[in-house]
Amino acid sequence: MRFIFLVMMTILLVVFLNPVLPFWAIMILIAALAGLIGLKGAESFLAGGLGMGLAWLGQSLYISVGTGSPLPNRMGELMGLGSGMTLVGITAVLGFLLGGFSAMTGILFRNLLKRKPDNLYRG
Amino acid sequence: MSVGRFRDSGKFAPSLYFQQMKYFSFFFVLTLTVALAVAVSIPLGSIPPLAPLLDPNHGFWQNSISEDALAEDELVLDNLSAPVSVVYDQNLIPHIFAENDADLYRAQGYVTAQHRLWQMDFQTLAAAGRISEIVGPVALDLDRITRRKGLAFGAELGLKHLQENDPETLALVEAYSDGVNQYIDQLDAARLPVEYKILNYRPEAWSAYKSLLLLKYMSDMLVGDRDLEYSNLRKILGQEMLEKLFPEYPTKIDPVIEVGKVWDFQPLPVVKPDSIDYPTDELVIDLLPQPAEGAGSNNWAVAGSKTKNGNPILANDPHLGLNLPSLWYSMQLTTPEHSAKGATLPGALGIISGFNQNIAWGVTNATNDTRDWYKITFQDDSRKAYKYGNEWKASAFRIEEIKVKGEDAYLDTVVYTHYGPVVYDRTFGANRQDVNFALRWTAHMGSNEQKTFMQLNKAKNHADYNEALNYYVAPAQNFVFASKTGDVAMRIQGKFPLKWEGQGKFFMDGSDPGMEWQGFIPNEHNASTLNPERGFVSSANQHPTDSTYPYYVFDNSFEYYRNRRLNGKLSEMTGITVDDMKDLQFDDYYTLASEALPVLMNLLRDSSITDPKAKQYLDELKSWDFFADPNQKAPTLFFIWWSETHQDIWKSWKNFGAPVVTPNNYRTLELLVLEPEGPVFDLKSTASVETAQDHVKTGFNQMLKKMKAWEEGEGDYSWANYKKTTIQHLVPQFSSFSVKNVYTGGGSGILNATSGRNGASWRMIVELGDEMSAYGIYPGGQSGNPGSKYYDNFIPIWANGDYLDFNLRTTDQTEGVLFKTILKD
Repeated sequence: MRFIFLVMMTILLVVFLNPVLPFWAIMILIAALAGLIGLKGAESFLAGGLGMGLAWLGQSLYISVGTGSPLPNRMGELMGLGSGMTLVGITAVLGFLLGGFSAMTGILFRNLLKRKPDNLYRG
Repeated sequence: MSVGRFRDSGKFAPSLYFQQMKYFSFFFVLTLTVALAVAVSIPLGSIPPLAPLLDPNHGFWQNSISEDALAEDELVLDNLSAPVSVVYDQNLIPHIFAENDADLYRAQGYVTAQHRLWQMDFQTLAAAGRISEIVGPVALDLDRITRRKGLAFGAELGLKHLQENDPETLALVEAYSDGVNQYIDQLDAARLPVEYKILNYRPEAWSAYKSLLLLKYMSDMLVGDRDLEYSNLRKILGQEMLEKLFPEYPTKIDPVIEVGKVWDFQPLPVVKPDSIDYPTDELVIDLLPQPAEGAGSNNWAVAGSKTKNGNPILANDPHLGLNLPSLWYSMQLTTPEHSAKGATLPGALGIISGFNQNIAWGVTNATNDTRDWYKITFQDDSRKAYKYGNEWKASAFRIEEIKVKGEDAYLDTVVYTHYGPVVYDRTFGANRQDVNFALRWTAHMGSNEQKTFMQLNKAKNHADYNEALNYYVAPAQNFVFASKTGDVAMRIQGKFPLKWEGQGKFFMDGSDPGMEWQGFIPNEHNASTLNPERGFVSSANQHPTDSTYPYYVFDNSFEYYRNRRLNGKLSEMTGITVDDMKDLQFDDYYTLASEALPVLMNLLRDSSITDPKAKQYLDELKSWDFFADPNQKAPTLFFIWWSETHQDIWKSWKNFGAPVVTPNNYRTLELLVLEPEGPVFDLKSTASVETAQDHVKTGFNQMLKKMKAWEEGEGDYSWANYKKTTIQHLVPQFSSFSVKNVYTGGGSGILNATSGRNGASWRMIVELGDEMSAYGIYPGGQSGNPGSKYYDNFIPIWANGDYLDFNLRTTDQTEGVLFKTILKD
């Protein structure tokens, strides 16, 4: 449940705050969010990554389908990456990596603040 | 299991161990995360920062949104005295309604920047010789040339001229600049033009200086000279041969001002020096870039006596490099006093080619030579003084600091003489240490072209037009005019040096004061005509006048084909309609081919030809009607055959080892007709004696060879597929932002002058009745954004010879409105 919650919260964060904040500010916020929610490291990574990755995937798809603009294809050709759909994929992967590492940093920071090494008691 | 073991073995040590591990893993992941974030925020080699570029909320994705989806009902524009309304028609053409000029031009700056900011910024960087700042060392040579030609120097003088002589115009140029800057100041990352995102830089503040610089950029684009090549030819061929091969007034020329015009003024005297010693150096220096061949334009106006409705009709189509974003941006600019509409140049104020409620005007390039070169003799290596008559004159130094992306700045010292900048010297272009040549150019003289256009926008009659033109210096233009009251006129306007015959054709000795320009032709002596008897005025970059004009004018690139076709058609036409004028702008008749092909055929004597492919080509040529329409195949065959023949005739000139020009098509064809057995056709390097026929045959065989390669590689050799008209993005490397292989006819020397990379950059036709009815089109779109649907939407219309409705709009008109924005303080 907390996993889905972190994914959803990350998506909302990107959708509502990314338009006014640069990507690195979003990374800090995802780290904070992951720290607050407190999943394990790998889970945080996956949830944060999926959150930002899916949000960027959705946003770039929404824009390119919604506008029907030739720009994604033109950019794909310009960057030697083929079509605009490749760029949608690359945007999503980049979002995934940025979100994932941010969330993992956040959870590891949370662990630092804990007095007890609570991962001691877990399997 | 292992966990239990740790529990048993005391508390302190494992706790510390985990504590350390936690720190380690945190910092490890933090480092990775920061490294990733940094890696995607900085450019890696030529790859721009990825995250800002790909972020769907700020990156290039945002540039996919077209202007209509971003429409605002109201925007803040400070320093306005009253609200300004901007109505966009369905083609995104803004119609600005302001209460006064200052508000009008402030709004023009703002609105233009909304759609064309990157282009304005980039073009002025180019004009200032600052491209290396954004693209790195590849542009260094280009920047050096630009700076050595003194474009920025010219713009500085222009600004000083305005400060001293015309504060009113300067205030308006500054209002425009303020409008641009207010747009830049509110620009967020998402709306930043995509080229900035790719090249990773930010727009710079605009200024009055930059608007003036833009007009220098136009001068540079339109003005060339062949003094270097002529100097070499004079030395190699001798004066007599030069005059034979390059006659200044060949037979049957058809000038801008009608033949027989009476010059009703007393010309200023020009004294030719008794003896003229041209420098005899071997001039093997790098050529400056010249205006592209085929860059030229047409304009004309027919009087009411020749039209169906009895109204004058004016037409203009400037031919320039075909680029995206287009050089032109359409607008209507309205105040309670005037309402002008047409094509603007982003960065400059007012309408450049257009009309208002009373008059219409248009421009073509007047190529009369206004750029001359002087050999400079310095006193010593310090170059602080140069010889002038019997004395040494002090020179000035201008240090050009060229910032280069990723490298240290490049410092280029340019020496300035009273003639102008020493463009060629030991550090630039010359392969000898002692060669110094200074450039004298009217673009380096303080001038006020901006005022000409602002006054034309308001002009009500012929007198106002003449008054407006008096401020115009460079680049010289043929200004066509028509008024509602029935006048049609043409005036060749620019600041033209007073020259003795032959002056400025060759590099001159700068130490001889006798070589100086002896002043300038007064404006009222510039060639002009009003309501000539023939019922029309026209220009197509040809000779300005016949040889009776009392001043010396010269250029190597005068047009010989479009002008004759145009005047021929206009002379025979009566009952002219707007549609007739549209057809004429789109006219594909290949005059050179109509004159040269019979000569080639005759010299080839094709009876001996048996090759079936050659026969097929000859049949295609024989059945051709001389129209270079896109689907025709014969234009391709003729074009290659003619080019190859021309090249073969003058091929030995390549061995001169110095830059030269070859005789133009017109003269070459004359020679083929007049003296096919003449010595000009003999190649001295061969034992045999060549005649015109040999060259024509070689040209034909070369054509067969090239056609074979083409048919094997490309297949279809129809004209459009062969010439491959391309409308290229201003950064040629951004090829996916260009529009390639546009299906359209025409070519260089044809009224529809659309060749591979040049052509009609704007077409306009205005009928001056009680209501003006106007039509316009250009190969591009209103938006400079390659992601917008308004980026290239005019191209198919243009390629098809169709037009958009360009009638003046009033504020209360509601049909065809895309959206409307009120600009308020």
